[in-house]
Amino acid sequence: MIDMTTIAELNSGHMPDWCAGCGDFGILIAIKNACTKLNLPPEQTVVVSGIGCSGKLPHFIKTYGFEGIHGRTQPAATAIHLANHALNVIAVGGDGDGYGIGMGHFIHAMRRNLDYCYIVHNNEIYGLTVGQASPTTKKGIVTKSTPHGTPEQEVNPMLLSLSAGATFVARGFSGDIPHLTDIIAQGIAHRGIAHIDVFQPCTTWRKDLPYELYQKMIYKLDAEGHDPTNWESAVKKAREYERWPIGVFYKVEKPIYTDEIPFIKDKPLVKHDISNVDISKFVEEFL
Amino acid sequence: MVVVNRLNFTIGGPAGSGVATVGVLFAKCLQRAGLEAYGTNDYPSLIKGGHNTYMVRAAPEPITAIVGEFDMLIALDKKTVEIHAAELSEGAAIIYDSNKVKDAETLTHRADLVMIGAPLSQMAATAGGEIMFNTVALGASMGVLHLDFAILQDLLTKIWARKGQKVVDANVAAAKAGYEFSQAALKAPFKIKIEPMADKKKMFINGNEAAVVGAVRAGCKFVAEYPMSPSSSILHLMAGHDWTYGIIVKQTEDEIAAANMICGAGAAGVRAMTATSGGGFALMAEALGMMGLMEVPAVIFESQRCGPSTGLPTYTEQADLLFALHASQGEFPRVVIAPGDPTECYVEAINAFNIAEIVQTPVIVLLDKFLSESSMTVDDFRSIQVKIDRGKLMSDEQMENSPGFKRHAFTDDGISPRCIYGQKNGIYVCSSYEHDETGFTSEEAAMRVSQINKRAKKLKSIPDYVTAPSFHGADAAEAEILIVCWGSTKLPALEALKLLSSDEAKARMMHIRYASPFPAKAVLAALSSAKNAVIFEGNSEAQMRTLILQKTGYYIEKTYLRYDGRPFTPEEIAKHIKKLLQK
Repeated sequence: MIDMTTIAELNSGHMPDWCAGCGDFGILIAIKNACTKLNLPPEQTVVVSGIGCSGKLPHFIKTYGFEGIHGRTQPAATAIHLANHALNVIAVGGDGDGYGIGMGHFIHAMRRNLDYCYIVHNNEIYGLTVGQASPTTKKGIVTKSTPHGTPEQEVNPMLLSLSAGATFVARGFSGDIPHLTDIIAQGIAHRGIAHIDVFQPCTTWRKDLPYELYQKMIYKLDAEGHDPTNWESAVKKAREYERWPIGVFYKVEKPIYTDEIPFIKDKPLVKHDISNVDISKFVEEFL
Repeated sequence: MVVVNRLNFTIGGPAGSGVATVGVLFAKCLQRAGLEAYGTNDYPSLIKGGHNTYMVRAAPEPITAIVGEFDMLIALDKKTVEIHAAELSEGAAIIYDSNKVKDAETLTHRADLVMIGAPLSQMAATAGGEIMFNTVALGASMGVLHLDFAILQDLLTKIWARKGQKVVDANVAAAKAGYEFSQAALKAPFKIKIEPMADKKKMFINGNEAAVVGAVRAGCKFVAEYPMSPSSSILHLMAGHDWTYGIIVKQTEDEIAAANMICGAGAAGVRAMTATSGGGFALMAEALGMMGLMEVPAVIFESQRCGPSTGLPTYTEQADLLFALHASQGEFPRVVIAPGDPTECYVEAINAFNIAEIVQTPVIVLLDKFLSESSMTVDDFRSIQVKIDRGKLMSDEQMENSPGFKRHAFTDDGISPRCIYGQKNGIYVCSSYEHDETGFTSEEAAMRVSQINKRAKKLKSIPDYVTAPSFHGADAAEAEILIVCWGSTKLPALEALKLLSSDEAKARMMHIRYASPFPAKAVLAALSSAKNAVIFEGNSEAQMRTLILQKTGYYIEKTYLRYDGRPFTPEEIAKHIKKLLQK
């Protein structure tokens, strides 16, 4: 009998301390669903996070976790993946974590085509620090730190990852768990870097962005015949503001970073024997 | 009088003309002739032009610094003749490019020098390429010394073999042309004679190179680094050997990424390191604390240069000691090691990786520009016994039988058995939040205190013999003065001891390698029994004195501090000791 990973197995025993109605719940459930769907063994899975409401997520799923410092999910996930590429690495973070303080790492992670999935809880606000503008807060929105309205143009995360060379770019909505489950499962299964931006309502600080508004504005890309193999049309969709597309924007198969590292073909780096490294070749150079 | 087997050599020229390459080859030739060599450099922060020098000293006995005037100079440009003529000993030889320096005799204002003006570039062009003009000069230097040409030929063959026989032949021809030219040009035998001895098969290696070989020997598998002088050669050397030794070498987008990567790799169970200088280390401070709280092993090599800020990027300083000890918010155990010579760089690199895993905390290895780029003849590293100790790392088999495993479990020594990602029964979150024994976030007061205390205990597992300072020179009982130094100051200080013994001043030297954990007992014992003590440091605030005071209560009144970007010279150390002893 094949041992299947179940939702119950993924229960960490810790109750999330997110606000009632927070979009993070939907994302957590979708990640668990995707892990079950793909039958990922919990001890072979690492959920990496930064700091923020989303940063707490690893504690609420019974897999290995790495809850790092603010904005640095990508370097940590990169190294965990390279140290042991047999692991399934899922990185999660907020819009502030990934597109603000961690923006530099985000772009570089996308261009490296490492094989892991990065899910951004995008609620267009800094939640845990109690309500400041984030890089995705739209121009003119009033927050605690922008009493006269955000003076800056918001970033467009989809355009950023598309232009940086990401090989899987998608967007989901935390209020549509079956759809989000499917997107995340695709992202994890994708061989290469997957960037999934998720509309995540913040019921405390962004009451102007309720579930109902998202439900009204969003539409599904696959329902309208979008071709996810076409990068130009993905860019076009990423620049659509009148309606908000969700689904897979772009997907392409390219060699991944570890394909070009010959010595880890047979076994992951962590399994290499280090008990008695022979330095003779190196020493010869200095004789 | 002919001097045998003892000389000082220097080469100068614009950046990009292969000054250091020739200097290292010169030293290696003499090393193959059975001598011991020491080499170091001086250069400004630019790619082409400017003025670079590489200095070599060779002698029959082990040496650790340049002492005395130069006996031979290769001048690749006019500026070199102008700057260095005054540093030459009586009867020294100058090898220069006769096309670039037309008036060498006038420039030096000296009649005693052996002038060898050769059309280096033309000779190189004839041999196969103008670019080898420095090889012609190297050949000429060997010609002056009448050193068996086969030694240089072997060395050039070894170095250029990877570029093919044509390149080897051209370089040998260029060197031979220079060799024959200077022999013909010598009107009388040169004042220094090399009487070759058996090649002792030793290594000629600098601090950065030795640290890299040590890291490789220690089983380092992951390197994440952002380039920064004077640590960049660590990145280059690692990258050049990645496939040979199965090491993933990642040039990162910045030092923040580098530090976070080695933390991730450490949590995943591979030995990981980064290298940087003070500016990059400043960017790593937050991640350093994360490693401490997460109890993740990682090794950071920090090669100090003149700060603050950009400072003097290619000059040396020992001013990051207290920074290394205090970087990052909050309190956590860290290990800070400052090796003093290339062999210690090798040994302490291995210790660093072992200690990082034994106590599950970050280890900082403090180098500096001077140590990073000073080379010495050392015994083959393969003769040093090495043990790989991974501490309480759990095997897959052990984890199979460890239900209910707690990653941060309380233990007598504060060190918990450690599982890594992928193992059965180990599931936990490696968290930057304060946590309970399982790794789950805890802001509960008692748990906070227990975890702080647990982590604080860990450094006690590092035995005293590992951290003990080393002593050199006169015995404690007969010494009139105790010279205290740390890190790379060991190199000139050891030579100063030799100068002093000839003056019969009885000096003892204490070299401190471990800043954390600090060998307080041994340091206090040495200081309290000393008749007189003085500390030599490459900074303006006497940072090691502050640390010694903090850890032992002993205040060393006398200091000799240098912070002009240059390393100490043995002569100035000896002179100062004599002054203190009124000799």
